[in-house]
Amino acid sequence: MKVVPSRSSEWVRPVTSQKPASAIIEIDRVSQVFQTSARKDHLALSDISLTIDEGAFVSILGPSGCGKSTLLYIVGGFVSPTSGAAKIKGQAITGPGPDRGPVFQEFALFPWKTVLGNVMYGPRQQGVRTPEAEAQSRALIEMVGLKGYENFYPKELSGGMKQRVALARTLAYHPEVLLMDEPFGALDAHTRTRLQNDLLNIWERDRKTVLFVTHSVDEAVFLSDKVVMMSKSPGRIRQVIDIDLPRPRRRNELLLDPRYQKYVVDIERMFDEVDETGSPS
Amino acid sequence: MTPRILPSNVFLGVAPIVLVIAVWQGLVSFGFAPAVLLPPPGFVFSRLLQQLVTWTFQQEIVATLIRLFAGFAIAVVLGVSIGIAAAASPAINAVVRPIVRVLAPLPKVALYPALLLLLGFGHGSKITLVAADALFPILLSTYYGASTVEQKLIWSAMAAGTPRYQILFKVVLPAAMPSILTGCRIGLVISCIVVFLAEMITSTDGLGHALVTAARTFQAVDMFVPLITISLLGLILNALLGAVRSYLLRGFPEA
Amino acid sequence: MTLLATSARRAAPVFACIGLLAIWQVASLALKNDSFPTAIEAIRAIPDILGDKESLINILASLRRMAIGFGVAVLVSIPLGLLMGRSRAVAAFFNPLLMVIYPVPKAALMPIIMLWLGVGDIAKTLVIFLGVSLPVIYHSFEGARAVEEKMLWSGAAMGLSPLQRLVRIVLPAALPEVLTGCRTGLVLALITMITSEMIARQSGAGNILFNALDMGQYDTVFAMIIIVGAMGICLDAIFERVRARLVRWSEPQFDMPLSFS
Repeated sequence: MKVVPSRSSEWVRPVTSQKPASAIIEIDRVSQVFQTSARKDHLALSDISLTIDEGAFVSILGPSGCGKSTLLYIVGGFVSPTSGAAKIKGQAITGPGPDRGPVFQEFALFPWKTVLGNVMYGPRQQGVRTPEAEAQSRALIEMVGLKGYENFYPKELSGGMKQRVALARTLAYHPEVLLMDEPFGALDAHTRTRLQNDLLNIWERDRKTVLFVTHSVDEAVFLSDKVVMMSKSPGRIRQVIDIDLPRPRRRNELLLDPRYQKYVVDIERMFDEVDETGSPS
Repeated sequence: MTPRILPSNVFLGVAPIVLVIAVWQGLVSFGFAPAVLLPPPGFVFSRLLQQLVTWTFQQEIVATLIRLFAGFAIAVVLGVSIGIAAAASPAINAVVRPIVRVLAPLPKVALYPALLLLLGFGHGSKITLVAADALFPILLSTYYGASTVEQKLIWSAMAAGTPRYQILFKVVLPAAMPSILTGCRIGLVISCIVVFLAEMITSTDGLGHALVTAARTFQAVDMFVPLITISLLGLILNALLGAVRSYLLRGFPEA
Repeated sequence: MTLLATSARRAAPVFACIGLLAIWQVASLALKNDSFPTAIEAIRAIPDILGDKESLINILASLRRMAIGFGVAVLVSIPLGLLMGRSRAVAAFFNPLLMVIYPVPKAALMPIIMLWLGVGDIAKTLVIFLGVSLPVIYHSFEGARAVEEKMLWSGAAMGLSPLQRLVRIVLPAALPEVLTGCRTGLVLALITMITSEMIARQSGAGNILFNALDMGQYDTVFAMIIIVGAMGICLDAIFERVRARLVRWSEPQFDMPLSFS
């Protein structure tokens, strides 16, 4: 099986950051092979190398099936790479942990717990005493705009509200890195844009590192400092693009901004182009 | 097996009972069945009320209930633990699965004589039989529920810092609750039936025994009374379990 | 999966049987109880039972009753269940009746039925019939209900009458579910048969069991248990084969627990 090394080099550095750039996540020559039921091996990711700086909002953009979620799961420690390794702050990633908090497309809220119960789960797990955990959680619930819904069960909430709870739940245990797997993919367009705005507002507060998987070009450009473009299966990094747009970003301003428009147009065109192995992306 | 044939609200629950009683009365009144063989409902129910206040009949009920609860409880504890263990560990699964496949189609009641020999004619043999019969549905439902827990729930809990050994109790068990409770419902019905049958086969007390005693003396009314009692008990227990289920699963969307 | 793994999987139940028998052997040797013969002693008693004319007649009578009860139940219940699944009127008519019969233990009706019908074969066969009917009706009902409306529309467009549609579309489409019901019914037939024979002892395998118990022939008791167990396993295995053949085309169904009625 011929593994084509990815072409572009992967030193990702947010230009807008004031502090000296420091790598927090290192992905080194990671490949992932899955065994399908047809007894054939499926190469999902091919030799990915990537470095992510602290405080950067990085999108991983690619078509369906390009392995971008798999890459996220490897960083999250949910999946072990077939070859290569991922590290956070120099430590090898061997399993999930509260330093890397996931937010999934399917929300994955605990149905047997209320909103408050879900959000309190992480802090309680960390050993925070109940009154404190409750106070922290209530504050977070208010921050994501769900004040008053603390005692509701997930089944009583809309998709957008569930995702807010999921975000609050992850933020509650103060991860260093947020791993977001197409979090707005299951929501309607209107809810999606609202949540994108809200996510940026929340993110601005403490500027955590974010790894954001999406297949939407304008979402990637709107949210991120860096867009990592992946080719279709087997997934390789085709290009890394710096998004040099000022923050804080407002949708109504950005939509009219020619720089934003150019990024979107250029990236979409790159996706249409034939890549070096001769197959269209 | 839960009859989802009709939506289960109270009126529709009561209606078939009323219907059957009406048919029953009709059969007697119109002479299709002699009263000796099929006593009218009125007779049976008044006899039932008569019996309910007697100490001897109450003791029969207590004996039956003790065996029923004990057997059911054992089946729940064993079934849920083995089911979850088998779902969590492929090694345990490899051992448990073939044993279940062999034992499940076996009529456990065939073991009853053996149990009588080993445990005597009292509570022990019946409790064991009830447990053996109720075990399998509970075990299988638990296994099914535990093995189909959404992967991302487990991942979310792990990322929040839950150590591996706690995942079973904090995520798998709650997430599998709907399945587990369905299995328990089946197990409860089975428990009611098996305890009654075991008492009919050999016993010195209990509702089943009461039926057989009445049969030996050709007392038709006294035969119907224990049968109706166990059916009513079954209905009441089922309703109680349903209430427990509603409470425990209050967060879950209706399956 | 490798060849070794698949054969290991298939052989596993056999290992389980041997394992269980081994545990029995060890336990009985350890307990040294007169009424608990070892597995080997029990197995040795099996040819004696099968060789004894009286016993053999009894066992065959049991099987015959079971076959008739099961057969008639299936013949009646499948059409009834299918009809109930497709016609609201029919469903509404039979539902109340079934919901009441469901929780009552059918074998417990034995004495009552004996009171009405005497102690012959009919009483026992009737009880088996009742026991098998319910799961088969229920599963046929569910299977028929789940048949896609569009398939029936296509059938109607092709000119099939309602009866033809029932037989040629609904029945095959619902077959996987129907056969699951039959499998449950088969297990229940065996259970109901044994139980009713234990309650009303005149003939049959259950009768042999308890006679041996009364007469202190403990080897025979345990040997009969093995025979009955083997019957259950064989019937289930045969049925599985037939079922798999008939519904090769369907998705695998979960091995749902047997419900007792």
